[in-house]
Amino acid sequence: MTATNPRIVTVRQNILKANDHTAAENRAAFAAAGVRAINLASSPGAGKTALLERTLRDLAGQVSMAVAVGDLATENDAARLRQHGAQAEQIVTGTICHLDAAMVQAVLPRFDLAGLEVLFLENVGNLVCPSSYDLGEAARAVLISTTEGEDKPLKYPTMFNTADVVVITKMDLADAVGFDRDLCRENIDRARPGVPVIELSSRSGAGLDAWFAFVRGQGV
Amino acid sequence: MHEASVALSLIDVAAEVLREHGAARVSALTVRVGAWSSVVPEALTAVFPACAAGTPLEGARLSFVTVPGVGECPVHGRVTLDVRQGLRCPACGAPTPTLLVGDELELDEIELAGSDREDL
Repeated sequence: MTATNPRIVTVRQNILKANDHTAAENRAAFAAAGVRAINLASSPGAGKTALLERTLRDLAGQVSMAVAVGDLATENDAARLRQHGAQAEQIVTGTICHLDAAMVQAVLPRFDLAGLEVLFLENVGNLVCPSSYDLGEAARAVLISTTEGEDKPLKYPTMFNTADVVVITKMDLADAVGFDRDLCRENIDRARPGVPVIELSSRSGAGLDAWFAFVRGQGV
Repeated sequence: MHEASVALSLIDVAAEVLREHGAARVSALTVRVGAWSSVVPEALTAVFPACAAGTPLEGARLSFVTVPGVGECPVHGRVTLDVRQGLRCPACGAPTPTLLVGDELELDEIELAGSDREDL
């Protein structure tokens, strides 16, 4: 055969199809075991770990829960979460700024999925990259804290646009930082029209009932 | 900034097409990037050469087709969305809850060069 001329091939394939394939496997594994997987995403410091600590503590004995938590470098979050009696496995991502479905799949054998009702997938603190990666979760919760500024949903529309629920955290600090609740909710609705919003404080406990209902899969 | 991860996935997808067609290398790629895809073409362009080094995609030209978001306004029908305004009709401000297009991240087409045979 002689050398061929360059030829154009139409591909039209999703670049992240390998991730989506693995995510589908994760989703099937969760479904088979009857586990509700919840992907938590937010900027660093919005209170993902604090909300999970409070959730593990308050729902202990009622809901069987565990956490897989992503972090670039440390095991600090997993150590914090284990203090509340639940299994927490750290996924150290190295320099990767998001969890992907393969990282989650790799850690699943460490859990007894059949004995779990809820598995939290605490993403790396980042409002950009995690939006591209389906982990196989049943629901995606995006957190925004009152101390971050009300325009976060417009600055990071792709993350908020993939949310099944948006959680406004640190409501106990809302007055102190001059948080404009209406503006924040309007911006959330611009990024994701109609998305349910939960306002809560992991410290005071205000608003947690709605969050717990979501965790249990009972809507918001 | 996850464009390096995206570049590696892009190279995997392209290498698969390359094998299917029995080609030796890829000389050019076109990627479709939606305005809502969370991927910045400039950043992907910056990391691509390093990710492609040593693969059949080394030296390939990377170009982009950017896809604006399109929503369905109850009054104005299909409308092109401005990412800064969120999912709102640019004409009347009505919510357009579903992004019809504009979140894609696709390998659109590739230019193959050479065949396996000539390398044997």
